Amino acid sequence: MTGHPANGLDDTVHQRVRLGILTIAREAGRVEFSYLRDNLELTAGNLSQHLGVLESAGLITIEKGYAGKRARTWVTLTKAGQAALAEEVAQLKLLISQIERSGTSLG
Amino acid sequence: MTTEAALPGDDPGRLLSNTRELAQRVRKDQRATWFPLLVFAVLTFASIPVRRYSGHHLDCLAVPRVCTVYSDAEFVYWPIALVLAYVAIAAFYIRRSRARGVGTRVLPYAIAGIIIAVALTGVALWEVHNPPVHPLGLNGLAYQLARPEAAIGLALLVLAWAERNRALLLLTLAYLAVVLMPFTFGWVQPSPPWYFYPAVFQGSVLLLGGIGFAVAQRPLWSPAS
Repeated sequence: MTGHPANGLDDTVHQRVRLGILTIAREAGRVEFSYLRDNLELTAGNLSQHLGVLESAGLITIEKGYAGKRARTWVTLTKAGQAALAEEVAQLKLLISQIERSGTSLG
Repeated sequence: MTTEAALPGDDPGRLLSNTRELAQRVRKDQRATWFPLLVFAVLTFASIPVRRYSGHHLDCLAVPRVCTVYSDAEFVYWPIALVLAYVAIAAFYIRRSRARGVGTRVLPYAIAGIIIAVALTGVALWEVHNPPVHPLGLNGLAYQLARPEAAIGLALLVLAWAERNRALLLLTLAYLAVVLMPFTFGWVQPSPPWYFYPAVFQGSVLLLGGIGFAVAQRPLWSPAS
């Protein structure tokens, strides 16, 4: 493994929708399925697939329950999820700074 | 699944900016800054008749010659009003959070608000019997801070931090400057009939701030409310 920041990117997290889910869950503390679906502009099936990947990786926990008679699904970020998100953002920033530096040296 | 492939949206710059936009959106959806400001504006205006129509005590020290005027009713009104206000604010935020499906950051604010209110009421009670020797020194500043209006301001700083709300931080600093104005301008207690001026001024800052935030946050909260 080289020191290039692209090698530090986790395939589970380095994906637009899953990064979005983790970001929203971190800011919200606890977020409902429908909020994620609406804000990420996904279908319920597509969102469920991404949630499944993140849950299998231990990055989120999914809790099902009821609010009155309405079924609700709540998503919470785990500590591993917080660490993975922080790592992904740090790697992205590093990658961008490397791209900018190489662009400057070429120019 | 198409989203697994390297889409243009997966480039680092776009991913980072998308992340920032989503975080901002969640913060905006969590905020209901107008509600606590309007609640405290109402409490501040309601404190005027409480102060006006309740009995007052005058305690004086012989040496140095320092007197304190206080009302028993205010020591009952403010702690109860503040605790009930924080319970109402927490309930409002939690109900709104459930309706929107996004968590709330109100609990640190409500807990800090109740602790600050109780602590400053205790300090104010102690100060009634131990008035500041130099009302315009540091001792006098502590005297000004041990008031319900300052308790509201200090707790609003916690809300500004919890909501990561810069506009609220600026408004709260302006409000605290208004609350501490008697200290700044060298008068401690206006005499009748002007006793209600500070409360009107402080309540107006909260009211105008609440209206401003309600207007600014309206497009975000009206569809879900």
